[in-house]
Amino acid sequence: MRAIHIEDLTVAYEENPVLWDIDLDIYKGNITAIVGPNGAGKSTLLKAILDFVKPLSGRISIFDSSLKKNLDKIAYVPQRSNVNWDFPIKVFDVVLMGRYKEIGWFKKPSKIDKDIAFNALKEMGLEKYIDRQINELSGGQKQRVFIARALCQNAELLIMDEPLAGVDQYSEKIIMNKMKELQKQGKTIVCVHHDLNTLKDYFDRVVLINRYLVAHDTTENILNSNHLTKAYQEVGFDETAA
Amino acid sequence: MKLLLSYDFLVVAIATMILAGSSAIIGCFSVYKGQSLIGDSIGHSAYPGIVLAYMITFSRDPFYLMIGAFIFGIIAYAVIQFISNNSKIDLDASLAIVLTGFFGLGIMLKTYVQGNSIYEGAVQSGLKTYIFGSASYIMKSDIYIISILSIFVLSLCLLFYKELVLNIFDREFAKSIGINNILIDIVLLLMMIVMISVGLKMVGAILISSFLVIPCIFANQFSKNIKNVLFIAFLMAIFSSFMGVYLSVVIKGFSTGPSIVVVMSFLTLLSFIFKKLRGKNV
Ligand SMILES: Nc1ncnc2c1ncn2[C@@H]1O[C@H](COP(=O)(O)OP(=O)(O)OP(=O)(O)O)[C@@H](O)[C@H]1O
Ligand SMILES: [Mg+2]
Repeated sequence: MRAIHIEDLTVAYEENPVLWDIDLDIYKGNITAIVGPNGAGKSTLLKAILDFVKPLSGRISIFDSSLKKNLDKIAYVPQRSNVNWDFPIKVFDVVLMGRYKEIGWFKKPSKIDKDIAFNALKEMGLEKYIDRQINELSGGQKQRVFIARALCQNAELLIMDEPLAGVDQYSEKIIMNKMKELQKQGKTIVCVHHDLNTLKDYFDRVVLINRYLVAHDTTENILNSNHLTKAYQEVGFDETAA
Repeated sequence: MKLLLSYDFLVVAIATMILAGSSAIIGCFSVYKGQSLIGDSIGHSAYPGIVLAYMITFSRDPFYLMIGAFIFGIIAYAVIQFISNNSKIDLDASLAIVLTGFFGLGIMLKTYVQGNSIYEGAVQSGLKTYIFGSASYIMKSDIYIISILSIFVLSLCLLFYKELVLNIFDREFAKSIGINNILIDIVLLLMMIVMISVGLKMVGAILISSFLVIPCIFANQFSKNIKNVLFIAFLMAIFSSFMGVYLSVVIKGFSTGPSIVVVMSFLTLLSFIFKKLRGKNV
């Protein structure tokens, strides 16, 4: 039932603790929002789940087993892609990378892989841009390219860090409708999200964090409680320490 | 025409073309990884490795000298990393320190060897070749080493093409699908050092990095697709080598390595001008 199980997680950058003692279960088949103010540790939480940052303590399991065993089931869209923008690669080939894990070593993408990539691009409304160099797109278009790439991975668990940031309302609808469609296929989706007004429309559950786990509940319960104000009023301990 | 078919010319031309083609491919990956200056530093720093290998083995066997160059290439890289990790010095400054320091050491050792009676017996004339590069000292064994290692490196690049592209374009994504970035970094670096060590005799410590960098710069003008860039860089390098070897045979006193580099630079200059003119018409 749980896609991600987090126990006792504490993460620090150098000496500064960022996440404290998080215990959290993300349920399978849900669309879960991670919500909290800037600097709350939302991105850090996702990075810890993906083993991009080494926690000070804690255990994380994915589908009741290790991350390593589930790499092919996870797709991740970072908040700001740290890609090499000057690299000569076309939009289509970036999206095709979503197939690389499945293609495996030494082999070339097949016609089927290319069809999957093209469909993902089409779903993100980018079919006009397949031959552009990746850097020749606008910010929102770039973001959609990386979402398209994640879609190609055919993942069971989609982890996205503010996928809607910088994306226009029309594309936002397209992206979230796609997420609902994936949910119907049994996939699990986790998104960092900033717009409190749309929480109700898009998400089943909300995880509120601000350095600590403030609350985790259904969207309705969260909206009806005072947890939201609490999460946003509490000062992170960067500031208190100073 | 007779010249073009002479055995010596053909052998040198083919070996040079293989060397340049493979260097161009590995060079494209290095350039996009932001390592073109590292290649230059390593090229210069490999020189004392050549002289030391000669001093230790008393032999000009290209294989020993190449091993010396390879080891010093690795040492130079380690020193560069050490400086940038343990001080506030910028990467470009630490590159400059390593480049001049190691190359100076090489020259020092070379003059020491020349003035030293222990080494009188051994043949010395070849050491200077490794600074400026020359095809006139190229032996059969050089050709074997160049061809085998170049083709080896080229095959690795083709086999791990997807992983290299992922590593250079998007490290985080590469990691998220289970690619070992550190391993790819090391393999890419070692391949670059191998190509530098292999090419040193033909092209010279001073110019070897242009074999890595110029074809990529040229090709980058013409395509926004890595596959095409690799292909164009490869063809350009092969063409330039052929022209360079040809020029150095026809015109007395032109040495091979520099001639190739001059042809490459000239073509690249042309490509800039071409691009500029075409840009104006649109
Ligand atoms: N690489 C890093 N090194 C040091 N500190 C970092 C690093 N990355 C993040 N931090 C710090 O950790 C804290 C949490 O950062 P994180 O990126 O997780 O916040 P976030 O909740 O995603 O914020 P935002 O809403 O702005 O994206 C911040 O105080 C930030 O300054
Ligand atoms: Mg963030």
